[in-house]
Amino acid sequence: MSKLRVGIMSFAHLHAEGYIQNLRSMPDIEYIGFADHDAERLEKFGKQFDSKTYPDYAALLAEKPDAVIICSENNKHRELVELAASAGCHILCEKPIATNEADGQAMIKACADANVNLMIALPMRFSATAQQIKASLAKEGMGKIFCANTTNQGENPDYHRAWFSDKTLAGGGAVMDHTVHVVDLLRWYMNAEPIEVYAEVDNLFNKDNRLDVDTAGLLMITFDNGVFVTLDTSWSRPSFYPTWGNVKIDLIAERGVLRTDYFNQKLTVYEDQQQKPLWHFWGSDPNQGMIEEFFASIRENRPPLITGEDGLAALKVVLAAYDSAKQHDVVSIEHNNKS
Amino acid sequence: MKVGIIGAGSMGHAHAVGWKNTDAKIVGVLSGNEANAKILADALDAKVYSSYDGLLNDVDMVDICAPTFLHKDYVLRAAKAGCHIICEKPIALTVDDGLEMIRACEAAGVRFFVGMVLHFFPEYMSMKNAIASNAVGNPKVVRMTRASYRPKKADDNWFMDESKSGGMILDLMIHDFEMSRWLTKGEVIRVFAKSVRSEHPGELADHCLSILRFDNGTMAHIEGSWAYPLPMFSVRAEVAGDDGLIEWESDKTFPLQQYMHKSNDDASDVALPGSPLTEDPWAAEVKHFYNAVVNDTPFRVSPLDALRGLQIALAVKESAKTGKPVSIKAVEVEA
Repeated sequence: MSKLRVGIMSFAHLHAEGYIQNLRSMPDIEYIGFADHDAERLEKFGKQFDSKTYPDYAALLAEKPDAVIICSENNKHRELVELAASAGCHILCEKPIATNEADGQAMIKACADANVNLMIALPMRFSATAQQIKASLAKEGMGKIFCANTTNQGENPDYHRAWFSDKTLAGGGAVMDHTVHVVDLLRWYMNAEPIEVYAEVDNLFNKDNRLDVDTAGLLMITFDNGVFVTLDTSWSRPSFYPTWGNVKIDLIAERGVLRTDYFNQKLTVYEDQQQKPLWHFWGSDPNQGMIEEFFASIRENRPPLITGEDGLAALKVVLAAYDSAKQHDVVSIEHNNKS
Repeated sequence: MKVGIIGAGSMGHAHAVGWKNTDAKIVGVLSGNEANAKILADALDAKVYSSYDGLLNDVDMVDICAPTFLHKDYVLRAAKAGCHIICEKPIALTVDDGLEMIRACEAAGVRFFVGMVLHFFPEYMSMKNAIASNAVGNPKVVRMTRASYRPKKADDNWFMDESKSGGMILDLMIHDFEMSRWLTKGEVIRVFAKSVRSEHPGELADHCLSILRFDNGTMAHIEGSWAYPLPMFSVRAEVAGDDGLIEWESDKTFPLQQYMHKSNDDASDVALPGSPLTEDPWAAEVKHFYNAVVNDTPFRVSPLDALRGLQIALAVKESAKTGKPVSIKAVEVEA
């Protein structure tokens, strides 16, 4: 099997730091380096990861990689996807797909026109816990699902990358950042589409008056199978919390209740240097499974498990939540085509 | 002080433990179920009464542990008879009834206390103290869960009759609605909620998810359930402030774990949360009421607090029923 040659477009998203290591661990992948429009990041992460760097995206694409992983700021996804698609590269793009629907649709079209795969980085489906739940639900182990209480709470990501709390670059704050993972998981678990959203959204975790985006969000999402789901997207974990945040889903169903804490496989480590407990996650890395699926879809010449349409379906919930919070009313989502 | 207990179910028994630790004398017990009344009366060395007016003649205070739909009548008659009153939650089934009860007690000059017992659970006191000492800054997003199984009383299961108990949202979630106000020092202005009852009519499961917004900007997510399997009673609370975070889960803080081979029949009729404590919260509550009446000192939680909790619960029920957000303005006693 010939090696797939892969590059990374931008190190803006911190996940790039994980992906580069995933890529380098894979024997059938040749990691060729990364480009970034930010010279400082190019310099910093080039050194940190001892990686080849390219001064601009054209230079990276001129190396004719088979595939790229796009980890730019959210509002640059479209530009970079269109660039990579026109160079004939398959694309794994960070979530959310885009900051607005038109960009998301343009990205899907660009990839369809260029006949390349577009996968959105929603790795939770590849969590070993999620896989086990999916299998159990498929066997109707829980009976009919009624509702779910979910959280994807986090620390303020701008402790690590300032652009996450820049309205233009990120497209929003906590709701933009933390809605799509749970929505994607539930769409996949239930094979159902979100049709209605109510949300309270505000900038509540902003003590030093530093931020101009939403930092708190409580959503109620109703799916077309009648299941209703609350989701807490808030950046409500303090900087001294033992980890970055959580993904939790409590499913209330006919035959009982299934509580899941996807990152609960952890050690609590008390370290002199830190003077605070830290949680070291020791569960299986969902990113590895996601990246393997991306390359498998390329080699098998088929669509990836998570498509641009999936990314767009999740983004629609985000946009509806912002609308609802403005109107203080329920907002409907036009029905998505199931992928 | 002479006391009469009205109602001899699980709450009547829980309160009786508290009365034993006061110097009050329990004179009588009155219950719709005479057999239950006799068991409790015998344990307290008290008399079984069949007439409420007869009981009111003989006592200085009443402890109303009767089903919710009877609260109003018992409270109004006790006030008229000049008796001080401790009454189980919810205060009443409607805001108007609750207002009438508060006003009647004020007019009669009797003390009126509603058993919002969470104020006597040390975990919530501890949360309140942490917030008061500015440990986490200002509360911004509060999350509370109270999840249990359906009350399974064998006879006369009034909990399951919404016209008598108000249903799960009024009977169970009211604790956390009221507590969220107290912890965040705000009043609720808007609620949105869905329940299995509203979305999946005909199902046995009863589970509600609600989103509250307060006048100070704070948000809360309150979950209540009578949909868990026996014998679970799981309680969670989280207060995310702008300068820190409080997390608590009953399942994770139980100091003992006992795993026994047993049947579901071993679960009590009505699930009560309880970490081992030297004084259980219901007993602490009864003592607090008694001491406050005897010493003429303020109650820790007022009937107006209880009424505002009810008001939120009713708004949540309405939202779940209509599928629309419901705006409210905190009720006042003064017209």
